[in-house]
Amino acid sequence: MTDHYRPTPGTPMEDLDTPCLIIDMDDLDNNMDVIANTYAGTSAKLRGHAKNHKTPAIAHRQIRRGGTVGGVCAAKVSEAEVMVHGGISSVFITSEIIELMKIDRLCSLADQAEMLVACDQAANARDISRAAQARGVEVGVVIELETGLARCGVRDVDQGVALAKEIASLPGLRFRGVMSHQTIPDMPDREDRAVEAARTIKGVIDLKDAIESEGIPMDIVSTGETWSYDVAAEIPGVTEIQGGSYLMMETHYSYMTEFHYAGKILTTIISTPNPGIAIGDAGVRAVSSLSGMPTVFDRPGVTVGNMDSDHSVFKVESGASLVVGDQVLLIPAQQDAMVSRWDRFIGLRGGKVEVVWDIQARGCHN
Amino acid sequence: MERPIFHPVGTPVEELDTPALVIDLDVMDKNIQTFQGYFAATVAKARPVVTSHLCPQIARRQLDAGGTVGGIAVTTLGEAEAFAGAGFSDILLANQIVTVSKIRRLCVLASQTSIGIAVDNPDNAERLSSGAVEAGVELWVLIEIDAGMGRCGISAGVEAMKLAQRIDGLPGLKLEGIMGTVPGPKGDDDLAQHEAKTKENLQIVLDSKDALKRAGLSIEVVSVGGTHCYAQAVRMPGVTEVRAGRYPLMDHRLKSFLPELNPAAKILASVISHPIDGMAVLDAGHKATAPDQGRPVLEGIEGGNATRFSAEHGIVELEGDAQKQLNAGDKAWLIPYELGASVNQYDYFRAAKNGKLEGFWPISARGMLA
Repeated sequence: MTDHYRPTPGTPMEDLDTPCLIIDMDDLDNNMDVIANTYAGTSAKLRGHAKNHKTPAIAHRQIRRGGTVGGVCAAKVSEAEVMVHGGISSVFITSEIIELMKIDRLCSLADQAEMLVACDQAANARDISRAAQARGVEVGVVIELETGLARCGVRDVDQGVALAKEIASLPGLRFRGVMSHQTIPDMPDREDRAVEAARTIKGVIDLKDAIESEGIPMDIVSTGETWSYDVAAEIPGVTEIQGGSYLMMETHYSYMTEFHYAGKILTTIISTPNPGIAIGDAGVRAVSSLSGMPTVFDRPGVTVGNMDSDHSVFKVESGASLVVGDQVLLIPAQQDAMVSRWDRFIGLRGGKVEVVWDIQARGCHN
Repeated sequence: MERPIFHPVGTPVEELDTPALVIDLDVMDKNIQTFQGYFAATVAKARPVVTSHLCPQIARRQLDAGGTVGGIAVTTLGEAEAFAGAGFSDILLANQIVTVSKIRRLCVLASQTSIGIAVDNPDNAERLSSGAVEAGVELWVLIEIDAGMGRCGISAGVEAMKLAQRIDGLPGLKLEGIMGTVPGPKGDDDLAQHEAKTKENLQIVLDSKDALKRAGLSIEVVSVGGTHCYAQAVRMPGVTEVRAGRYPLMDHRLKSFLPELNPAAKILASVISHPIDGMAVLDAGHKATAPDQGRPVLEGIEGGNATRFSAEHGIVELEGDAQKQLNAGDKAWLIPYELGASVNQYDYFRAAKNGKLEGFWPISARGMLA
């Protein structure tokens, strides 16, 4: 359920009850502007992933600041509902939607906004076609190609072409294109990232060429993510970049210094039982440990030792000090699992509350 | 908020929209009876830690089943507010509350219901006292002793004695007793070794109690936690209450240590892709399961193992005959590894009996981390 804590604008950070999820607005705006500037002159644009922030207000803010296709990605039907109801006019669900109940909700959304969905199997395409016809709507379908995640997606070009033919023949569906998603180990060097992006993204470009050579047109090649946001846009044929982590940022992408750590957990020291350690009031329920432990922000000599459900144990080196009541900021190793625990963002500028945003799609797992 | 499809009562659970956190009420009730039944004839009673389920309906069932002190324990002030709002009247906030703003909230709550608080620091005790006096309320206090967690809690011995003597004279505070939390077993801990260690840790709390009593302090409550140590704790004279949260719903982490209790809360997921013979992809990933402290376990598919959870997807590896199962649209059951973390990702339990939906139970205190 939702908590009720909603500090008034102007409240200084020192007065916030903790733990809470904050966004530094200057950092958020910086990250949005990096995107706007990057795609100002490219044909490829960002379709920002809403699964990272789950908040229509943030989606609208990035669209307004520029660099986007004017729509968003979502991971789930319920997340897409929140975005469409929040006024977003084009949503691409980047997961396969299989259950008939969910397909029907997807088709209902297609009556209110442009809806696209990932697909990797013909039976699923036929189910969506039937539901779309029953509601008299058109659903855009994008074929997912597996390119290294070992997850969903058709496995090769032949499977992809066969599926494209099937989709193109089905009423109620509009075949829109192809997508892929990939992750890489830390790769700070831009040239290395460009080579890796070209290698992994070559798969969808090959699939696009093969499908088009069968006389089936498409207008979307959706790929990329935060690590490849700049280099993927240089690959001919790519029309949309899926990126989301750049907004809040995470230590996993620490080498991308153009993006700032905007999303953080504010925690308070509640106990200092022994020299050298201090206990904070945020545990893994508040931060998550997907991809690893969070990192202490801007406090030399203080590190996260370990965390349990509702407590963190900080190690405090000699020379550093933490006393009961001190506040500590944590930055996550992976931000969207962190965001998924919270009902609202508290947006701060210059250390004072500027805005409070409900994370309306928090808990939208279905 | 979760946006569940509210299916009619009587819907077979496997037809529920997924991912869904489902409770088998019969298993839960049996766990409650088994666990709390243990306290029927003992001096020590159970104090349910509701942080594990965050659900007033379950807490009510626990208090109604007997064997308890009649009150509950919580971990955060927000949880205390939620449960006070749901009508609970004896709440131990087994954690430290240190800031001016939160002490104010705590004292407002104490004007509505009986609130106990854990204290491990004399300065904090002074602040709580000032807050209580200002608000015209009384907080009952348990001194938290570090019983092996290496977390909050004052060291047993001289420090604990000084703190107790300090609190004893403070207006607005009533020194009620002491508490300690004992570390639970992890992974493949050896049971005998774990029990020996647990006994030592419990003894730290009891020795502190003896020392404080010898100094003339009134120590009515000796509260220890959690679920894993109950059988040992009730056999140690002097323990008055055992704080325990995980026993009604259980999880995989404690299952091998407490075979008399069974997992009652499970996550129902759907297969969204079975792209190659050896793998199926579920619609429940990290956000829907919170495997921060350990991966959930796939139930009932011989040769199937849940091996990876990315943000939105769960990956099941399939061997042998299992490769023919878990096709797109099929359902799968996952047993949480760490109950509290999984519960924290949902707004409703889907309560079920005999495989049919009984209702949606709000997880009212979800997200009340502050």
